[in-house]
Amino acid sequence: MSKSTAKIGKSYVLASTIISALIIVLVFIILVANSWQAVTEVGWNLFSLRWNAPSDEFGILSMCFGTAIVTLIALVLAVPLGILTAIFTSEMLPSKLRIPVKSLLELLAGIPSIIYGLIGIAFFAIWLQGFFQLQSGRTILTAGFLLAIMILPTIITLVDDALHNIPKQYHEASLGLGLYKYEIIKNTLLPIAKADIYGAILLAFGRALGETMAVMLVIGSIDKIPSPFFDVLSPGQTITSKLGREIAETSFGSVHFSAMIFMGLLLFSLVLVITLIAQRANKKRIRLYE
Amino acid sequence: MNSRKIINGLFMNATRLAFIFCAVVLVFLFGTIIWKGSAAISIEFLTQPTESFGASGGIVYQITGSILMIITTALITFPIALGTAIYRSEYLKNPRAQNIADTLIFSLNGIPSVIFGIFGLIFFVNILGTGVSWFVGSIILAMMILPTLVLCAYQSINSIPSIYRESALALGMTKWKVITTVLLPKGVNGAITGLLIGIARAIGETAPIMFIATAFSGVQFPSTLLQPVSALPTHILSLAQQATNPAALQNAWGTSLVLVFLVILFSLSGLLVRLRFKKNNI
Amino acid sequence: MKFIFSLSLIAILLFSCTKKESINISGSTTVLPVISNAADAFKKAHPDVDIIVNAGGSGVGMNQLGEEKTDIGMISRDITDEEKTKYPNANFNVIAIGKDAVVAVVSSEIYDAGITELTIAQLASIYKGEVKNWKELGGPDKEILCVDKEASRGTRHVFMEIVLGDKEAEAPGADLVLGSNNEEQTAIVQSDAAIGMLSNAWLNDDVKGLNIKMSDSTSIEPTLANIINGTYPITRDLEIVTRGEPTGMIKQFIDFVLGAEGQNMVEEAGYVKINR
Repeated sequence: MSKSTAKIGKSYVLASTIISALIIVLVFIILVANSWQAVTEVGWNLFSLRWNAPSDEFGILSMCFGTAIVTLIALVLAVPLGILTAIFTSEMLPSKLRIPVKSLLELLAGIPSIIYGLIGIAFFAIWLQGFFQLQSGRTILTAGFLLAIMILPTIITLVDDALHNIPKQYHEASLGLGLYKYEIIKNTLLPIAKADIYGAILLAFGRALGETMAVMLVIGSIDKIPSPFFDVLSPGQTITSKLGREIAETSFGSVHFSAMIFMGLLLFSLVLVITLIAQRANKKRIRLYE
Repeated sequence: MNSRKIINGLFMNATRLAFIFCAVVLVFLFGTIIWKGSAAISIEFLTQPTESFGASGGIVYQITGSILMIITTALITFPIALGTAIYRSEYLKNPRAQNIADTLIFSLNGIPSVIFGIFGLIFFVNILGTGVSWFVGSIILAMMILPTLVLCAYQSINSIPSIYRESALALGMTKWKVITTVLLPKGVNGAITGLLIGIARAIGETAPIMFIATAFSGVQFPSTLLQPVSALPTHILSLAQQATNPAALQNAWGTSLVLVFLVILFSLSGLLVRLRFKKNNI
Repeated sequence: MKFIFSLSLIAILLFSCTKKESINISGSTTVLPVISNAADAFKKAHPDVDIIVNAGGSGVGMNQLGEEKTDIGMISRDITDEEKTKYPNANFNVIAIGKDAVVAVVSSEIYDAGITELTIAQLASIYKGEVKNWKELGGPDKEILCVDKEASRGTRHVFMEIVLGDKEAEAPGADLVLGSNNEEQTAIVQSDAAIGMLSNAWLNDDVKGLNIKMSDSTSIEPTLANIINGTYPITRDLEIVTRGEPTGMIKQFIDFVLGAEGQNMVEEAGYVKINR
């Protein structure tokens, strides 16, 4: 045994840690290095509304708008629904049902995103098309709906954990005061869990921003802001969908490629900031993944 | 009439409705996948190669491709994650350094999968010139699930009370020996839990591998490290683009069922390992 | 545990030792069915060769060929000047393997309601966004769902060259932008008022091809006969591209595609053989 094995051992664990820590730095550097060309050649025009590669116009604003709206729809739908459901599972579900229900929710969270895309294109788009009498069911709203369902399990699980971990004394004290269940939840439990709930919302936000496959298949890929801008029943484009569809078509090293990497860098940075804020809030109880 | 009581009633019903809605969605999702998928499943489906854009034939090479990639991913992440967890737990004492390391490693968790795919495209396929390669796909997936493994391994190592370490040191063992005999076994258990969870996620990912590791047809079992493979999620993508072709759509559901089955298999294994580990823990 | 670990490692290393020759092909989804079938047949005759086929579109095919990531590119349009200047050392060698037509397709409901032919100018007005409803063209009162394709796709280049006069023209009237021929076909089927651009091989009961009404009022149907005699205005060669003159297995494969069996596959896919 002795010193040499210990030395090898120590180098191994140190090397592992360095590798792990440097991955994200490497990703960041690569993204920045490849966006540089677009930033210098296209400059502020990157933030215009027109994206037309053959004429060297690379305005990413429509994609940013699409990402923002789709995420907004997803959050508006999933957060209230998720919190209400989590309140149910945490406060009203009989305790022997808790484990099966929670496991089923975890299972739902594990469904790969491409399958959501398949369901979107095979069912959702057609339903929306029929329900709203649209020409095509590939719209911003469809993508938003799909995303909402995808982030729902995350929100439910995290909020449920947050509520369920509140010590029993708070419950009992409030009951002793003669409060109704609703009032207990609203006035005692929710405020205590507030930080964790915000953390959950942030995590879900981050996931919704970065989702590619489901959105790519159902959003219609039109690089324009709809007119009027709140017309969510028309097709649009998100950063992730554009990247997924077009990156293979651009040649490495061209301005076109660089502009797309720039979009990727923006998305990366935004999600990074959100993840860091969420994890800072969640410092005591770090989640396994999302 | 007690207005407080009414509001309470309304609220409680709202939560019940929310729950029922979610349950319906869950049942719909799983039901669709299982019901539509099982129509496509047969021995031929699972053992024959694909034909005519996937509208007929089976998905055997997609299954082998996916499994090959995740096994390699496991082999790559496991040692690195374990080593990182050990170092973080036993050697990294400076709180500032701990903070920095934690931030760098765990922020990897939220990064969109398409960004990983693009990184792989730039760094491996272009800069390093590997071309489209299943091995690169495994590396990228390994990067994606690394934080999950590190966290699980770290949690289990950290949960070992210091009395174990102190007793071992008191017996005259060197630090490294303490690690290998006392901490490593627990760490390995935690890492395995994290591995199974991570693999359940990695096997379903499309965006990281679709530009850098997969091909549409013609690939069987790769004979080198630098060849593409077919994979289950990218196959579903290709079939989803033919959603109005009933044969292709049915095969899409069949492939989805196989994929979901594998995901559930790994998730459940992770859960079981975690429970068993908890039982053996003192 | 350790045993499984080392076993898997050995297994993986073993793989790196056996080498098979492999040919990588990628590009146009129009040419894909022919090459895919040809690859399957070729492999039966030459089991020691791996032929890996990928889609992605004509643009992807040219990019990958230029960047030396594939051996053969499939395209359904001409190589653009930009592609030639981007890869000056690639020495692209184009080989035509078949012909087809790019057809303006509509949902069957529109076709059955009477719209069976349009002029080039009318097609242009739809894609420019000037005409928005089928009733303006003598059809039912429904908004036109104008389906476009990604900018680097071969089918789009050929279509736009004729219809809008510029292969990379913008289509302000587009409502959806899709990728492969399959995806475009799906959208036409899912709608009851759609128009799009597809290869003639993708026509079916739900996706009907329009005749082109020429300036002398003759109506040209997108049939194989009209492709062969050249009267249908939007026809193209289906091509594969190599870097320099093909040699070895690549040449053998290309000869196979150009030979009797390969050309039969071209016909079976719905296209026209190249050597008539």
